[in-house]
Parts: sequence; C-alpha cells; structure tokens
Amino acid sequence: MTIDWSWIGDHTDDLTSLTVSHLQAALSAVFFGLLISLPLAVIAHRIRPLRGFLLGLSNILFTIPSIAIFVLLLPISGLTRTTTVIGLTVYTLVVLLRNTVEGLDSVPVKTKEAAKAMGTRPLRTLLTVELPLALPVIMAGVRIATVMSISLVSVATYIGDGGLGQLFTDGFQRDFPTPVIAGVVLTLLLAVVADALLVAVQYVLTPWTRRRA
Amino acid sequence: MALPMNRRALLGGLFAAASVPALAACSGGITSLDQGSGSTGGGSGSSKGGLTIGTANFTENQVLGYLYAAVLQEAGVKVKVRPNLGTREIVIPALKAGDIDLLPEYQGALLNYLAPKDNSSEPGTMQNALTLALPAGLQVLPYSQAADSDCFVVTRATARKYGLSTLADLAKQNGKLVIGAAPEVKKRRVGAVGLQEVYGVEFKEFKSLDSDGPLVKGALKKGDVDVANLFTTDTDIAANDWVVLADPKNLIPSQHIVPLIADRKADDTVRKALARLGNVLTTEQLTQLNSQVDNDKKDPEDVANAYAKEKGLTK
Amino acid sequence: MYELFKNLGAWLTSGHQWSGYDGIAHRLAEHLQYSLLATLIAAAIGLPLGLLIGHTGRGAFVAINLASFGRALPTVGLVVLVFLASGLSMWPVYIALVALAVPSIVTNTYAGMTAVDPDVKDAARGQGMRWHQVLFQVELPLALPLIMTGLRLALIQVVATATIAAYVSFGGLGRYVFDGLAQRDLVQVMGGAVLVAAVAVVLDLTLSGIQRFLFRHRPA
Repeated sequence: MTIDWSWIGDHTDDLTSLTVSHLQAALSAVFFGLLISLPLAVIAHRIRPLRGFLLGLSNILFTIPSIAIFVLLLPISGLTRTTTVIGLTVYTLVVLLRNTVEGLDSVPVKTKEAAKAMGTRPLRTLLTVELPLALPVIMAGVRIATVMSISLVSVATYIGDGGLGQLFTDGFQRDFPTPVIAGVVLTLLLAVVADALLVAVQYVLTPWTRRRA
Repeated sequence: MALPMNRRALLGGLFAAASVPALAACSGGITSLDQGSGSTGGGSGSSKGGLTIGTANFTENQVLGYLYAAVLQEAGVKVKVRPNLGTREIVIPALKAGDIDLLPEYQGALLNYLAPKDNSSEPGTMQNALTLALPAGLQVLPYSQAADSDCFVVTRATARKYGLSTLADLAKQNGKLVIGAAPEVKKRRVGAVGLQEVYGVEFKEFKSLDSDGPLVKGALKKGDVDVANLFTTDTDIAANDWVVLADPKNLIPSQHIVPLIADRKADDTVRKALARLGNVLTTEQLTQLNSQVDNDKKDPEDVANAYAKEKGLTK
Repeated sequence: MYELFKNLGAWLTSGHQWSGYDGIAHRLAEHLQYSLLATLIAAAIGLPLGLLIGHTGRGAFVAINLASFGRALPTVGLVVLVFLASGLSMWPVYIALVALAVPSIVTNTYAGMTAVDPDVKDAARGQGMRWHQVLFQVELPLALPLIMTGLRLALIQVVATATIAAYVSFGGLGRYVFDGLAQRDLVQVMGGAVLVAAVAVVLDLTLSGIQRFLFRHRPA
C-alpha cells in the first residue's frame, strides 16, 4: 500500500473542493441540528413528561443506520445535498438535544429565581440567563456533534454525495489506495481543526468561565 | 422539511419559463415521442442554462459521462458531471426528478428496466421500443456504434469441472453453483430472473457484490463465487482467461450505448455533439479506455479528455 | 406512506422472508455475530487501557485526544482502506467496528475511574491494600456504572454501523439496506433499518438490565 504522491499533486483542486463540500455538509447539519434541538430542549426541560419521550426518540433515531436514512429520504429529496444534510441532522439530534437539556438543568434554581424576582420575563430569562449559563455544556455537545458529522458525511457517497467520501468509493472501485488515504487524512484534519476552532469560539463566548483562572 | 420539493418545483418552473419549446413539450407530451428514434428534428428543449450529467456506479459509465462532458463543452454547453450516483434503479428516478439531465445508458438494459416484456433485439427496433417505453419528459438520442453487454463468466477450471460453455449448461448444475453480481441483478431480467425464466437455472446462492468491480472479480478469483456477472468491455476477462458463457437463446439483448436525456435539455447542439461522439467511439476503444482507468489508475475525466482530443472531437 | 408501512409489515412477517441464506434469521445471526465479537474485542482493548490510565493518572491527555481522533475516523474510508490492503476478508469489517467502539469504552472507563473519591482510595491504601487490590476491589466496582454506560454506547454504535459489512460483500442486516438501495426497494431498506434499530434497543435494554441486577444492592 503505497501513496502515489503525483496523484495528490495533480488533484489539489479536487481535494480542496471536496474538503469544502464536506465541511459545508457537516456544518449545515450541526446548524440545523441546533435550530431543532434548542426549542425541543427548552420544551423537554420545562415539561417533564415530554423529556423522556423526546430524549428516547432521539436515541432511537441514533440506532438507525445512517445509510438507511439517506436511502429512505430519496423519494422526498432525491440525489441532492438536501438529503445528505437532513440525514446528518437526524444524527446530531441525539447529542445536541441531550446536552442542551443537561445544560439547562445545570442552571441553578436560585439564579432563575433571582431573575424572576427582578421582574425579568420568562423568555428574557431563557435568552439572557439560562442559555448563556448552559453554554459550556451545549458547546461540548456542539463539538461532539461536529466531529461526528464530519466523520459521517462520507456515508452519503452511497447516494452520490459525501464530500471526501467520494474518494473512498473511487479508490475502492479502482483498487487504488491513494485517494482513500487522502480522504481519511483530510477528514481527520478537518475534524481536528473544526474542534479547535469551536474551543476558541467557546472561549470567546463564555468569558465568565475564565474569571477564576 | 418540505423545502426540497418546493425548491425542485421552483427550479422546474424556472427551466420551463426559460424556453417556450420546453413548455410546449410539457403540455403536448407527444412531441417527445417523435424525437428519440434518431431523428435530428427541431429541438424540444434548451441546453443554454447548462446541464448535469449523472453516471452510474461503475467505471465505464463514468468514462462515458466525461466523454459526453468533453464533447458538450466543446459545443459550448456548460456541463457538470456527478459521478458514481448508484444503480439504474436510483439514477433514472433522479433524472425524472430533475436532479440530473443526461445519462449514458445501454439500449437493452434500459429497455428491460422500462418494459421487461419487450423482446426487441435489433438496435433499430430497440430504439423505437425505447422511445415508446420511456416516461413523458425523457428521450433517447441516437445510439452509438459502441456496445457493452452484460455477460456471465466462469473461471477456466470451473468451466472444465462442470462442462460449462453456455448459459444453458448452468441448468445441469442447478442448486450447486453460487452466482456473484451487483445486488440489482438479482431482480433484473438480464440477471437471475431471466436466467431462471429462459434457461431454467437455479443457483445455490446469489451473492450481492458490485457492478464489474473489485468485489465480484475478487470473489471469482478467490472461488467464493462460481459464476460472475461482468461486462464484455472488461479487459480482465481475457487477462484472467475467464470463460464467457454463450447465450444461445438471446437472453442478453443488444447493448449499444445510448444517451438518455430529459426533454427540457435536448436541443440540436446536444444532439449533434453526442451523435458525433457516438459515431466515432467503438467498442474496442471503449474497452481500452476502461482499462486505462481500472488498471493504469488514470482518472476517468483525464482518459475521456485525452481520447476526445486524439479523435479530433475537441481541440 | 400507508402503503409503505403495510408492505413493511408484510415483509417483516412473511415466513418466506425469514428462511434461507438471505432470510432474516440468518442475517440477524450474522449481524449479532459481527457486533458482539467486535464489541468484545474493543472491550478487551479499551477496558484495560481505561483502567490503567484511570488508576495511574498517566497518559490521560493522550488517551482523551486519541479517543476524539477515533471518533472522527470515517468508517467507510477505514473499511475501504483495510479492504484494499487485505482483500476479500472480514478484516475490514472488524477493524473498522473495533476502531469505532474503543474510544467510547476508553473515555467512559477513564471517566468512571476519575470519579472515584480520592479519600476512598487513600483509605483503602491506608488499610494496607496493594495496588491491584485497590484497583479491583475499590476503584473498579465504584467505576462500574460509567464503564457499563461506555460499553452500552459502544455496542449501539457498533450494531448500527455493522451495516457496512454488506458493502464489502458480507451479510448481516446491512444486506437488506445495500441491496434495497441498489434495487430501489424501500421496503427492504426500511425492514433492514427497523431490524437494526430493534437489535440495538434490545441489546441496550439487556445490558441495562444486567447493570441493574449487578447494582441491585446499591442505592440509586
């Protein structure tokens, strides 16, 4: 198993565009995952009976093989990027929902009561007190969801998308390891860089967690 | 999540609005029937906005997709190629839905998919049959002289051991042999279904592998399968001294390569460019191009571009 | 939609669908074999590693980062890579599944070990317990709930991902998903997906049952 470096040199354009497309799919999934999880988490946090149901549902979705989700979406959204993003979004829910609920749970009751006593409205309390305080736990979820999505995008190669995953099917069909190795390495790099950036974002967004240090 | 459908409807609307002939084709429905059979009459669509070529999940189809792309680009059409989308069962619905506009297809296999009962075997009658069988909105353009058929092969040793030279011989070993092929071949007429109907062949097991790819060839070499479904344009058949089983009852139809295109994109520019390619490309040349990709590890795109240039199809 | 579910019901309950080499019974057995064996191998690697790091407190940084690295490994790429190196064999499937399961097991085992109260460990040592006695009689029992969580998580992931075996010519419930994709037979895909999810849920409930049985004397 040797690497054909000249192939890599000849394909920097392709590798770049596949990497960009890969990242775009993963980040869109995390974005839509958050968009769905945040309101659901607030509901799960406030209405106890719904909590088990929502978390259980996201757990069960997680047990469905990702490729099956992509295939089952074909009659709805066809061989498109939309199919990839919907499928990946489903997978982010399990982490994002659980972490957001746990984050909201971690906000001290006294803090919330203080906000109430000061006459802050519930929605305002949620946006300016609860969510910011839950941010570290939510961000931990965002990091896991991002890394997981980056690793999962390649499964969509079975429906003609999949970013760097296209290098896997290509190398497989031609018995040619170089594109496969390039794809694996770029996926790992993407995950490491994205994770580091998210750590930086969290650092900037939560200055109060640093005061003690 | 109704977004994709809305978006698609919107895109469809834009395409339709972009050209009046396309609207006529949509409302008439019959206009498209007059096209396909090789006539180069008036265009029913427009390729001005560019088009997307889809290809199925095997080497040759990608080579063909990039060949189409090369000659179309030369004719001034903006082209995007989406390689490796999947099987015919996946790609044709995507063509109908508008995710792609043009596909390299094979006459007999396509006809079998659309009208399994049709027994046409001559390329000319098949072309007419295809035109009748295609759903509204799709048409086939003139077929190429190049052809690539499905075939069923065994190793030289297996052929000797069981006395196999034709597909009919397989029936004498019913219940003993394992066949390896792509999963879709299990349900296709040019596959397990037809072998049973026409030759009375019953396999011990159908092993789901890939379309003339590393799995099916690897399994045949290793002895995991006795019979393998390959394509006649694969140089590995000769290289490994595999035996292609003869087809005395013509189960496997003529498989000339034929462009399948959405009406909305079929105009004279596209027709002429693809017809020129179809007249130049031969089966032998296509076989060589496939080998350059599979064995020399060249990119299908580079192989296609080099060929088009060499044959004067592009500058 | 209604039609799809009706056909799915018929698919799942027809006797014909359950028998033979491509029957549900056989595919289910294959799937269980791949998943359980891979998880066992992963546990044999991940548990000692997690215990060691947790007990000594050394190498934690490396282990945690390796684990998140492992989480980023694209399974499809790994399967293809091992396939190109080893040819038609079960290696690609098992290596990819084990690589998927080890990180969850290591991180949870380590987390369980660090959660053990240092005072308890000191007390055990003060009573003259040797390091292995502290590890096996004090730390391990206290860390067990989190270790079990890690094993359950790993098993669920492996069951869902063992589908990939079908991509490299093998069986398991993934056969229905990949064949159904190639044939555009959505009922078959859905049948495969439902069965995989059911296996994951049943195995998870079984493990959590075992967990509850093991800790029945402990206050919740």
